[in-house]
Amino acid sequence: MKIAQDLRAGNVINVGGEPMVILKAEYSRSGRNGSVVKMKMKNLLTDSAKETVYAADDKFEQIILDKKECTYTYFADPMFVFMDTEYNQYEVEKENVGDVVNYLTDGMEDICEVVFYDGKAISVELPNTIVREVEYTEPAVRGDTSGKVMKPAKLVGSGFELPVAAFIEIGDKIEIDTRTNEFKKRAN
Amino acid sequence: MASPKSCDIFCTVVDNYGDIGVCWRLARQLANEHGLKVRLWVDDLRSFGKLCPELDVGLEGQLRHGAAEPSGAGATAMPPLPQSAGFASNVSGGQICRGVEIHHWGSVFAAIEPADLVIGAFACVLPPAYVAAMAAREIKPVWINLEYLSAEDWVETHHGLPSPHPTLPLTKYFFFPGFTEKTGGLLLERGLLDRRDAFQSDATAQAEYWQGLGVPPRIEGELRVSLFGYENEAMGALLAEWEHGSQLVTCLLPEGRALPQVLAYFNDVGRASARQVGLKPDLQVYARGNLRVHVLPFVEQEQYDLLLWACDVNFVRGEDSCVRAQWAAKPFIWHIYPQHDGVHLEKLEALRLLYTAGLPEETAQVVQAMWLSWNGGQGVATAWRDFAAQRRVLAKHGMEWAQRLSKNSLALNLLDFLRRTD
Repeated sequence: MKIAQDLRAGNVINVGGEPMVILKAEYSRSGRNGSVVKMKMKNLLTDSAKETVYAADDKFEQIILDKKECTYTYFADPMFVFMDTEYNQYEVEKENVGDVVNYLTDGMEDICEVVFYDGKAISVELPNTIVREVEYTEPAVRGDTSGKVMKPAKLVGSGFELPVAAFIEIGDKIEIDTRTNEFKKRAN
Repeated sequence: MASPKSCDIFCTVVDNYGDIGVCWRLARQLANEHGLKVRLWVDDLRSFGKLCPELDVGLEGQLRHGAAEPSGAGATAMPPLPQSAGFASNVSGGQICRGVEIHHWGSVFAAIEPADLVIGAFACVLPPAYVAAMAAREIKPVWINLEYLSAEDWVETHHGLPSPHPTLPLTKYFFFPGFTEKTGGLLLERGLLDRRDAFQSDATAQAEYWQGLGVPPRIEGELRVSLFGYENEAMGALLAEWEHGSQLVTCLLPEGRALPQVLAYFNDVGRASARQVGLKPDLQVYARGNLRVHVLPFVEQEQYDLLLWACDVNFVRGEDSCVRAQWAAKPFIWHIYPQHDGVHLEKLEALRLLYTAGLPEETAQVVQAMWLSWNGGQGVATAWRDFAAQRRVLAKHGMEWAQRLSKNSLALNLLDFLRRTD
């Protein structure tokens, strides 16, 4: 079993007996110590997608599907194409990629896991931590090295924006938690 | 769903009286204003008994008929419900108070027929047997998770979303109270603002109210402040500012978590001083310089509303009293429930931004400074002086703000939501 807070784009869970692939998961603190996770999910049997919300500690049975380690190769609208070590190519629909799209860039070397359901590639999962380069951010705030003050930064390649520590500069490489889309630290 | 006829509300008392306070208001509103047969399931009847004194917390296993909602001040009175009206007859152990059937939610939960509308407050976990019974119904109940109140943006995009049960053929819906039209709105009893206006424009009613509390009549230039809060590092500095300020400040302090700090500020000196200025020390009155503090016993919700309406400035805490302060339309300072990682400050600022939108920048900054200083920040004395100087602007704004919020009633939104739910 997995709790909602630990689910991420690409995971497939059993909801009411139906396989649902998570396209997007967004965590929010609701009050006191309560938290919620808003999830966009798609039914793999009917292809219908819907937005849902769960308490962060709601438990789900994760459906373990076949996975293959692949690297991202290119985008052929509306398909993202991945390739395994034996040069087999697998296409994943843009809609099913979810938040992973924030980190897909040409030439990336991260090992992804393409997920299969009934022989079809239905989603892709990234490593929990990846490193990306900052394309643009406002100048660093001198003196603040606490990491508590945040500012937006745009990533090279995808153009995705996320909050980073105020001391981060253009050209820095940063570690990102792909489960939460959160900046972790400056990469060495 | 067509109009629901019955409702079960489940509430676990986490601490203090905020959670049960919200549930108690909602239960009475659904029962007395909208005619639903409401059962309120509470795990801690002793805490609840502070809000509902007629509740006999020792009477498990019997059902008695208590008083209906008081009809005074425009409340809609409903006759007491018949025993287990609208529910399966195997439900026992309830008491009917003010139109609501109240049950102790113990560790053993008897098999009962679920209501048409099921509300789990603040993500409390419903009894498994009850959830199974919901799933077994041919026409499934509408299951609502009533969430905490927040002014943050994300609430709008989460409000009303379904939460299909991981294993059962049931869907729960997340219902988020809030301050904007895209949220679930706020609890507001029918006629409340009219009753507030009537009270605030009736000097005699106010004088009688103060007399009833044992508080002397107002004198010219005096400021009356209610102070309901958690323990607060800024307490001493604020009391000192009031003590040494140029204006007489009468502070009404409901019993609670802030009381020990206030008493520590006065020691025995304050009580003796109270005698010297002619106040009755047996009423728990303390005085130092220009500050008088009257300690009040824990009061029911309606009595607390009167206190908020009668004071010039209100310090409130948590969720429920914060909303009531906004209905009171007086300048208020919110002590938000503190969370260990500081995330509460984002919630504080989210409400501050909404509340001060449209105010002059100077006033908005004054509110921000006061709220922050009261929530772990610095400089409460200066912040208070600036805040008090803006009191008239904020009082006028409070009226407009309350009027705007009143168009978004949580109970009505909830019933509308049910009608739109399959």
